[in-house]
Order: sequence, then structure tokens, then C-alpha cells
Amino acid sequence: MPSNTPLVTQLQQQKMWSYAPRSRLIASCRHAAQFTNVSSKSIKWVGVPSHKTTSATFFYTRSSNFATMTVAHEVFPTHNDFRSDTFTVPTALMNNAVVRGLSEGWLQVGDSVYKEDEQTLKLEKLMRDLTGKEAALFCPSGTMSNQIGLRANLFQPPYSILCDYRAHIFMHEAAGTAMLSQAMVHPITPANGNYLTVEDIEDHFVPSDGDIHAAPTKLISLENTCHGIVTPYHELEKISQFARDNNIRLHLDGARIINASVATGVPLDQYCKLFDSVSICLSKSAGAPMGSVLVGDQTLINTANHFKKQCGGGIRQGGIMAFMAIRALEENICKIDQSHKYAKEVGKFCEDHDIHLESPVDTNFVFLDLKKNNMNDQFLVSIAEKYGLRLMGKRLAFHFQISNISVQKLKIVLLECKQEALRNPFHARRGPKKLYNIDVVKANLVKALFDRIQMLEAGHC
Amino acid sequence: MSLSLSNFEKSPASAEFRSDTFTTPTPSMVAALATCTLGDAVYNEDVATNTLEKKVAQLAGKERGLYCVSGTLLNQIGLRVNLLQPPHAVLCDYRAHVYVHEAGGLPTLSQALVQPIVPKNGIHLTLMDDIIPNFVPDDGEIHSCPTKVISLENTLHGMILPIEEIQLISAFCKLHNVRLHLDGARLWNASVATGISIKEYCSYFDSVSLCLSKTLGAPIGSVLVADDKFIRKANHFRKQNGGGIRQSGLLALMALVAIDENLPKLARTHEVAKNLGEYATGLGFKLEHPVHTNFVFLDLKNSLVDPDAFMDICGKHNVRVGGGRIAFHFQVSDEAVADLKNALKEVIEYSKEHPYDPSTPALELPKATSFYKLIQTTT
Repeated sequence: MPSNTPLVTQLQQQKMWSYAPRSRLIASCRHAAQFTNVSSKSIKWVGVPSHKTTSATFFYTRSSNFATMTVAHEVFPTHNDFRSDTFTVPTALMNNAVVRGLSEGWLQVGDSVYKEDEQTLKLEKLMRDLTGKEAALFCPSGTMSNQIGLRANLFQPPYSILCDYRAHIFMHEAAGTAMLSQAMVHPITPANGNYLTVEDIEDHFVPSDGDIHAAPTKLISLENTCHGIVTPYHELEKISQFARDNNIRLHLDGARIINASVATGVPLDQYCKLFDSVSICLSKSAGAPMGSVLVGDQTLINTANHFKKQCGGGIRQGGIMAFMAIRALEENICKIDQSHKYAKEVGKFCEDHDIHLESPVDTNFVFLDLKKNNMNDQFLVSIAEKYGLRLMGKRLAFHFQISNISVQKLKIVLLECKQEALRNPFHARRGPKKLYNIDVVKANLVKALFDRIQMLEAGHC
Repeated sequence: MSLSLSNFEKSPASAEFRSDTFTTPTPSMVAALATCTLGDAVYNEDVATNTLEKKVAQLAGKERGLYCVSGTLLNQIGLRVNLLQPPHAVLCDYRAHVYVHEAGGLPTLSQALVQPIVPKNGIHLTLMDDIIPNFVPDDGEIHSCPTKVISLENTLHGMILPIEEIQLISAFCKLHNVRLHLDGARLWNASVATGISIKEYCSYFDSVSLCLSKTLGAPIGSVLVADDKFIRKANHFRKQNGGGIRQSGLLALMALVAIDENLPKLARTHEVAKNLGEYATGLGFKLEHPVHTNFVFLDLKNSLVDPDAFMDICGKHNVRVGGGRIAFHFQVSDEAVADLKNALKEVIEYSKEHPYDPSTPALELPKATSFYKLIQTTT
């Protein structure tokens, strides 16, 4: 490739990014404005490169463009993906910044095991400031930051961890608590059906009273949000006080604490001061490609760092990922509120149409009660596919990359599924752990990849 | 109706040289059972068990004792209590029982790394030559696993760990916040051989495990001694590992009798062992280790003796051995020792006639074709 071709053009010719030429984006935004609550004048120009654009042909249909326009006024491949907020992709602005940073030389990387990676240090400092904690640790995943956070709070067994029965640390971390910390877990069903209260904890915790039959509770792990449900701040305060009074450590799985903070208005540092350790995921609603940060006091984080190395989390030049995480925190938090609004809209729609939900819609999730609705989740997923939406099962996840059209289509999908459920009620027994619906996901994945290849070949980016 | 104790008069272990664990209950132990207590030991309600624990603790100069069904269990829980948060490592001799013969308990039960050290002098670990060069400090280095416990064994392979070395190692541990555990399965033998009291030996350690089922002859059991807080935690682990037994009075009483009656008999076993050791070297055998207490370790390989022939010939003379390790205990009869000496004489004569080449493999490897067949059937 000739060296005077702009880098952006080179990349586009290699089809590395998805990005619309400036003029077309403006046109599509104006069009899309009819379908959003925002007037075209107030649209922020995101995802528009500063360079002049390509001479490469860019073919698109009008219908696909405005349909996929999202609250971020950008076209995302995840515009129709309700499977999880983990599917969020980096925004064009984030991608652009990385390309610029690397090519212009101001984005430098170093070995983060030796604490020489500038961006990782910057991210950790940003998290310390946001959370008001003494130290922060950037980890490749939320599972790792949870497991090492829990481990660092535990000393000599026998001990047990008390948590919600739906908690990620218990259900979806492949028994890490048992294998990595040798801890017993006591999973509690909240009495109010939604979130753990201090009464739940008082009723179920195991005291350290010398009983040799017991594994005393040495750690309580809360999750906010859990199942999209917000635990009220005053309840967290009460639990925190209980933990302190009984010499029990308190960990927060704050994978979606940002959603809780957006929904309630309680700032992060106010949440974090109640806990010994907090794990905050950046790759979910915030939109970073990967990463989670564990925060706590210096001693805890030093210990956690040792465990992080032990379990293979000592990454080297992680600067690009950390940089994207910083940009995600700086740019995408303001976009989360709209996704909560969409979730609530769909939640209300379900209520109006007698579609039962498992949990109240507090943030960005709608959990359909398939059993009560007699709905077949495989049918749900296939109907969604018919309408061009990607679902995994009963859990509907909303994030800032979802378009309004997708939300409206989702309503149609739910109605059709409800009709089918009334005609042919589905009664098969399903295990409680079928959240990820792997077989259906796999089949869809193959199809999705095939579609993507076709799109790339046809010139869509 | 009186109890017939004839079965216990002559022990089946009278010609048993494989190990001192084969010692069987004596008639007096069995007779004592008539007066044993039957409380539930998990609730600390058994008098005999409590008495035994107190007695051993007193002998050891420690605050409390914990009676367990085996030395392995006691060692593992003793080490577990000394370990807090990983990563942590246990440093020990490369032949230590806790490392070689406890089925990998340390990593499984305590998630501890083991640092097995080959002592420079070939006999026992020393502070200067073995511990200091291998000690990993707890200095925040995230690649490393700091040494948190040093586990010593006295006697190890029948050899005594000198008290001077123990004093040095103990001082080092206190300075570096490292715990010191003693696998004292045969500490009684060390004490009898050196004249140093059990109390003095134990004073240098955070925890000591003392076995009653070996040279002392109790059928089952071992006692862990340490301070009160330690024993309470050890009790928790004992329960967790399934060592919480109920009417242990029967066993504890036999152990009490063993301590009272059989401790004075150990000195003789050492004399017999030494005597046999001298006899063996006189015949031309090489020894793996010097004879300090009740073991003679014949170095069959370097003595150019075929191990199979050795076993056969000993069997012919009605003595039971398990290889080059010959264990002596108070139930070995004089006749058996004489038979053993005759067997050794015959072995040496046999080796002279049939020189044994130690380089020939002991096991016959399967032929190439059958080896691949083996792979095919398993995949």
C-alpha cells in the first residue's frame, strides 16, 4: 500500500473497522432523528473520523441504516443483540482513538506485571478516584476479579461465603469459590424475592462460635445489580454495618454497579465505601472490549495481585485494552440511561399484555417468566431470529448499542410468542441454569458468522 | 467367665521386621479394656481420651493434646493449622513422611507447595547448608511462594536430628515468622537414644505429632500437642477430615497402657538394632544410613545384593522383611533376630556365588508391540 494513503483508508480497505463516511452518516442521522427522541440539531458527532474519507465504495440501503441507528447515533453490529450487555463492541470513537494513538505515538504500552504500562496505571488511578478506594487492579475479566477479590478476603478455612442464590460468583463462575478458595457457599433466596436484606443475612449466616461442625461465614458477597434488580442503598448500609459488627468481610460483585449508579443516582464512591472489595466490570454496559477492575485497600489489592499472577492474569502490554476501558468510562456512561428506558418500556409492554416477568425492571434487564407464561424459549429465540433479533432465552439485555427499531421489533416478537403460548402452552421441565441456552446460541452463531461474511463480501462494513 | 488372652501372648509381629507399625496389643492392654470409658469424644465426654491427651501434653510440655486415628491425619491437620492464606510453602527433608508417604495431602488439603530438600550431609537438615539457601521469604514478590512452615522429622529413617540443629532452626523460624512443626512419629526413640526429654524436644516447636501405634505398640492413634488455640483449630480440621470418632475410650486406654508399659522397652530395641547393624557390616553389607535407633537400612544396591533373592531367603528363614529397611520393635523375639542373622549370612554367600548387577532393570518392560496395543485399547 502506498505510504501516503491515510491510515484510515488503509484500514478501511482492509475492512478492519465498521464506519460510515461523514456525509452518509449525517444523512442517516437526520433520517433516524424521526425515530428517536433527539432532534437532529442536537446530535453529537460520534464515530466520524477527522480525516477525509475513503474513495472505497460504500454500499448500504437506506432502510438498514436508519433501522440500525442507535441512541449513540452510531451503527453497531450489536444493534439487535439482546443476549447480553457483554456483547457491546468498542465505539468508532474508541477504535479511532486507538488507531490515532498508536500511529501518532502517544499511546504507549509497557509490561503491566512490572507496573510499567502507562494506560493500565491511568485506568487504575481513574478507578481509585471514582470509587474512593485506596488501590485498584485491572483484571482481564469480571470472573477473575471476583474470584481473586473473594480469595484475598479469606484466610484460613473452614469458612463459608454467603450470597444470593442467583449470584454470578456462585452460579456462573464454574465453582471457582470451591476450587480456588476452598470455600463453602451458602446461597440464600431473598425473602422479598428480589434482593438480600439484612434480615436474610441474620437468619442464614453461620457464626464463628467454635462449633467444629460448621464452616463459619467469613465473607458476604452481594451483587448490585443482580438480575437487573437494584438493592436499595439503605439496605446495603445495614448489611455493611452487620458485617462490620460480626467481623465478616463484605465483597461487592459490581459487574453492573454502573447501571445501579445510573438508575439510582448514588455515586460509585458512596457505594464502594460500604465494602471491603468491589469488582467493577467495564466490558458490559460501559462497552470496553474487555476488563474488570477490583478496588479495595492497598493490602487487599497486593494480595489480590499475587493471586492474579497465580491464576494467570498477569498480562503484559495491556495498554490498548486499558485505554479503551478509560475511553469507555469517559464516553459511554451517559448513554446507559436510554437503555434503561428501553428496558422499562419493554417491561411495561409485557405488563400491559399479560406477559409475566421474573423480576422488576430496575435497570437494563427484562427477565421473562417462561414457566408462568408457558413459553418455549427455543421458540422465542427462533421467532426473534425471524425478525432479525438475537436472543438467548428468557433474559433480555439492553445496552446503549441497541437501536429503537430493535426494541419495537422485540415487542412484536414477545406478542407472537405470547400468542403461541396461549395456543400451545409449553410445559417441559427445564433446569434453572439454562440462562445461556448454549445449543440455540451455537446454531445462531454459525448463521451470524455466515451473514457477516456475506456482508463483508458485498461491501458492507 | 474369664477372658482367654492366649491369642495376645505371642505377638504375630514377633518375626516382623517390615515396620514397627505391626506391633499388636499386649495382654495387659486387652485386660485394661474391661475398665475403659465410653463417652462420646466429639463432645469431649470420654474420660480415657481426655486423660490420654492430657498425659501426652504433659510429657511434651505443651498446653493441650489431640488424639487422632493416625499420624498421617495429625501431620496433615497440624500443618494445616500452621498455614493461613496461600500461596504458602512447606519446607522439609526430601525423605519426609509428610512429603513422600502422605498421598499428596499437602497440596490437596492445604494447597501448599512443598520444598523437598536433600540435606548436604546426607543425614539431617541443617540451618546453614539446607534451610537458609532454600528459604523463600515473604517479601511481596508475586512470582514466588513464600516458605511459611518448616516441617522436621525426628527420627527420620531411624536417624536422630541433633538438638543443637533444632535450636538453630527454631531461632531462625522465630526471627522470620515461620512456623515449625515436628513429625515426631518416633520421637520416643530419639528421646530414649539421646536422653533428652520429650519436653525439651517439643519446646522448640509450634506443634508436634507423636505416634503411639509404632514403637509404643498401641493398636491405633497419634497425639498432636500444641497450645490451646492451635488445638481448637486442629479439632475443627479433624472433624472436617472425618476424624471425629465417638467411643474412642477403648483405643485411648490401650494407648495409655502402651505409654506406661512399653516406653521402657525401647532402649533394648536400639541395642538389638545396633547389634544387627554391626553384624551386617561385618558380613559385608553396606548401610544406607548409620544406625541411631531402631532401624537398619541395608543398602542392597551398593552391597550388590539381588533384592528378590534377599526377600526369598529371608522368607525361607521365616522372617518378614520389606526390602533393605529392617525395623526393630519390642515384640521382636530373640529367635527371630537369630533367624534374621542366619538369613543375612546366607544372602551374602548367595551374592558371592551369583554376583548381582544393579544396572539390570528391576521391572521387565513390555515389548514394543504390546505397548502400542496398550495405547490403542485405552484411547
